[in-house]
Amino acid sequence: MQSKNLAAAAIVAVLGTFASVAEEPPPPPKCDVAAVMAEAQTAQKKAQSVGGEWRDLGKALEQAAEAAAEGDCEKAVKKYASAKSQGELGYQQALDQAGAGNPEYLSK
Amino acid sequence: MKKAIFAVLLSALAAAPSVQAAAPVAKAVTPADDLKLYRSYFMKKFPGLPLDGYANGVYAIDRASRDGWEAIEEFPPYEPFVEEGKALWNKPFKNGKGYKDCFPGGPAQNKNFPYFNKVRKTVITQELAINECLQANGEEPLKYGKGKIASLLAYMAFESRGQKTNVEITPESLEAYNKGKQFYFARRGQLNFSCAQCHFQSVGQRIRSDILSPALGQTTHWPVYRATWGDMGTLHRRFEGCLEQVRAAPFKLQGEEYRNLEFFITHMSNGIPFNGPSFRK
Repeated sequence: MQSKNLAAAAIVAVLGTFASVAEEPPPPPKCDVAAVMAEAQTAQKKAQSVGGEWRDLGKALEQAAEAAAEGDCEKAVKKYASAKSQGELGYQQALDQAGAGNPEYLSK
Repeated sequence: MKKAIFAVLLSALAAAPSVQAAAPVAKAVTPADDLKLYRSYFMKKFPGLPLDGYANGVYAIDRASRDGWEAIEEFPPYEPFVEEGKALWNKPFKNGKGYKDCFPGGPAQNKNFPYFNKVRKTVITQELAINECLQANGEEPLKYGKGKIASLLAYMAFESRGQKTNVEITPESLEAYNKGKQFYFARRGQLNFSCAQCHFQSVGQRIRSDILSPALGQTTHWPVYRATWGDMGTLHRRFEGCLEQVRAAPFKLQGEEYRNLEFFITHMSNGIPFNGPSFRK
């Protein structure tokens, strides 16, 4: 009877160990993305200020944040760089098109 | 060798003006000049098609599409929405008043919208007027784009059939008109497309399995039951979709950008009868 109790206690202890291992996965590596993230967010605000934001810029920012949280630093940096580039191009495009009017082909 | 390089540079410089000529050019033209220019462009593009015909959009320029559309119009999918809109129009608000108190002329209102409110210095669309009516009477505003507002507009459009588009541009509203015009001709989004590239320059051509509709008459048939949506939607919902298609971030429905755009393109259709609600692919 005593040996049965001991065996049960041992099983519980082993399972408990496994459970505590399962509950605490190793933390993902921390990505140093603060600077690239800030650059991308600034580019987004700049594009928004002239109504020139592109559709997928916000999505790229979300994907970058997700990748950083998961510890995929390379992907996070790539996505922030894409967002920054989209912001800058959208801003420039809006400035270039500020004087858009009737194209010449309408008169031909 | 130097001469050869110089010759290449000269030829490159000579080619430059032709590249510049393709870029949009902003001129100090009046809305009346614009109207003349746009009509003349489409009349040359589709000779023989009368102005009223543009109310039918793409179905005015493609026989096969028109046949399919006419068959659908036998049992129009927008009919239940018109019925729902009628019920909404007749349902009194909690304070006992109703839409008829905000729109004394009755539901046939299309000919009055959009217009420029001189005091508020902004373009007022029918959707905005509906929601302002609700709020003034202590009711919750409707969500823009689809749902109840689309049904209400469907009923109002149905009652407005036969009225003619009549947007007046005054010196006070010229800025809003020009902003809408700039929006229409500006390239935007990752694909670098303007509204005009599809609905002026490439009108009648195919984009995948669809035929690009003319800009003229593009505001006469809203709201529409769109097969792609499987639902009824408003003009601004379509604006949103167009922007997403060129990969530009869409603007807020009924925000200033879309209201100015609506002001500009509705003016383009002055004189063309309203025939909404309608069906589109």
